Amino acid sequence: MNILSNIGKSSLLAMSIFWVINLTYDFNWDYIPFVFLSLIPIYFCCAIVILLTICPIFWFSVSEGFNRQQIFKTYFPIYAIIIFGLCSYGIYKTKTDAFAISFFVSAYISTLHSWMWFVKPKKVNQNEQTTLCK
Amino acid sequence: MKHLTIIIASILFSTLFYNQKIGLNLSIFSIISILILLVSNTQKFRNKTTIIYTLIYLLTAALVFIQHTSLSILANVLALITLVGSVRESKSSIYVQWYNGIYTSIAGYIHRNLYKIDNEEKETSKKDIDVLHLAKLVGIPLMFITVFIVLYRNGNPIFSDLISKIDFSFINLKWILFTVLGYYLFSNIFSPVQVDFATNKDLQTGNILQQSETFSTEILVKEKQLGTILLLLLNILIVFYLTTDIISLNTIKWTEAPMLSSQVHNGINALIASILIAIVIILYFFRGNLNFYENNKTLKNLAFTWIILNTILVILIAAKNYNYITAFGLTYKRIGVNVYLFLTLIGLITTFLKVSKVKNLWFLFRINTQTAFVLLMILSVVNWDNSITKYNINHAQSLDLNYLINLSDNNAVLLNEYRKSNNLGSNQSNRIITKHRNFVYKLNSRNWQEYTYSNFELKSLANTSRNNEYFK
Repeated sequence: MNILSNIGKSSLLAMSIFWVINLTYDFNWDYIPFVFLSLIPIYFCCAIVILLTICPIFWFSVSEGFNRQQIFKTYFPIYAIIIFGLCSYGIYKTKTDAFAISFFVSAYISTLHSWMWFVKPKKVNQNEQTTLCK
Repeated sequence: MKHLTIIIASILFSTLFYNQKIGLNLSIFSIISILILLVSNTQKFRNKTTIIYTLIYLLTAALVFIQHTSLSILANVLALITLVGSVRESKSSIYVQWYNGIYTSIAGYIHRNLYKIDNEEKETSKKDIDVLHLAKLVGIPLMFITVFIVLYRNGNPIFSDLISKIDFSFINLKWILFTVLGYYLFSNIFSPVQVDFATNKDLQTGNILQQSETFSTEILVKEKQLGTILLLLLNILIVFYLTTDIISLNTIKWTEAPMLSSQVHNGINALIASILIAIVIILYFFRGNLNFYENNKTLKNLAFTWIILNTILVILIAAKNYNYITAFGLTYKRIGVNVYLFLTLIGLITTFLKVSKVKNLWFLFRINTQTAFVLLMILSVVNWDNSITKYNINHAQSLDLNYLINLSDNNAVLLNEYRKSNNLGSNQSNRIITKHRNFVYKLNSRNWQEYTYSNFELKSLANTSRNNEYFK
């Protein structure tokens, strides 16, 4: 499990979605520095969510003899439904405010992709493979 | 072909729903969803169950247009989820179909993407590299160009002015994002997925209870004794309760609304507790080998008696509720009581069947969830606001007009007709006029996507009434 790389990718994805949605509501060139600065809080948010909600599922399940595919098949559907429910409730409670929509949509998409990156087998570069075979 | 179909569907999705309220658009969306499912799963639509769910979905789509009630919208969404689940696995229980339907609708794309990686790794590896490369080609230059534009803006006023003049307002980015949402939704349901663990477990589990290998007569005798004493005492208690309840039914004055209200609601609370405990106790004793024990007849008879006595309790509450409705008219709460009583009755009948035909717990879940689904579909056929108003105006001994005014706009025309033919107080009369005007204004300001049957009804009313009332 490459947690750091996963958090990094999730943060970039979350940041992109968050600002794409936000800037469609109100675009201003002065916001651009904040786009890059926002990577810091987004990184912390992603790290907390991934470390507290996704990683424990993998750690506990691996110790019980599950492989990654089995973990995904068993727990991902429940996780996706719960996250979808929470994010929809969040958007509903904030009366579809632009900031809330961008926050919850980016949280939903990046957590689901984070699962995918954890389960996805790491591809070996063909050149590396040839060198290894030699 | 797949992508083209989804792109067309997502553009239609945006056209139908972007900045619009629910109306004709949801009905058209239902037809598009069926077409999308049909294109990608033609074989599955030869299945009888799937055809029935498709027809139910079409019916709810029509109801959204005709009735335009919250219940019909809820029924439509649930029917879509059920249809998607049924297209994936028609033989599974309805609650598993809901599970698969919800999962497909919210995360089907990611699920399929991962399975594609798992199954066709060689084929997709090339594609993945292309996508990643494309993302780098677009993302990295875009990021650096943006950074440098921001930096150069501070160094040169002419450059800053030129940059400020760049106007992308002709591109509706919100509409594009909404289309992406449509694309995500349609690509999710294009090829429904299933939760393997739940679906396989459900398909493997039948409705009949199996005798376990550890069959200890000694333990069963003790359990039977406990069950017999408990159910006997509970039967005596419920007989006593029912006797006193019948006496109170004959003595109570039906003209006192608070008394009636407290009678019905107390009865309901007693019923909730009694039925739930009854079902849990029966399920506990008949959970396993006691079903196969030869000397269990007394216990079974006591359980059946208790179910019958609880059914009498349901009938008594229904009688109280009926009296309540006759005196003070229909309300959502009173209709809700009837719905609850009906569901309770079904719960009791299925518990009876479970014990008499030695069925398992899954049987109860399957049949009760199926009943709840069918009941929701039937209830969504009725325009409740309109029906409540019509019933109360024509039949209720005591009319609560303020309650009717506070209902949705679906009863505005009816209330306005009632106002014209009766002498009402100025306050209530003004409230009805305002409600009716708002209703007519809302109908007239609707876009074609938001049209409902009321729009066409309004047109015909306007043509016949010859006055301008419906176009204010």
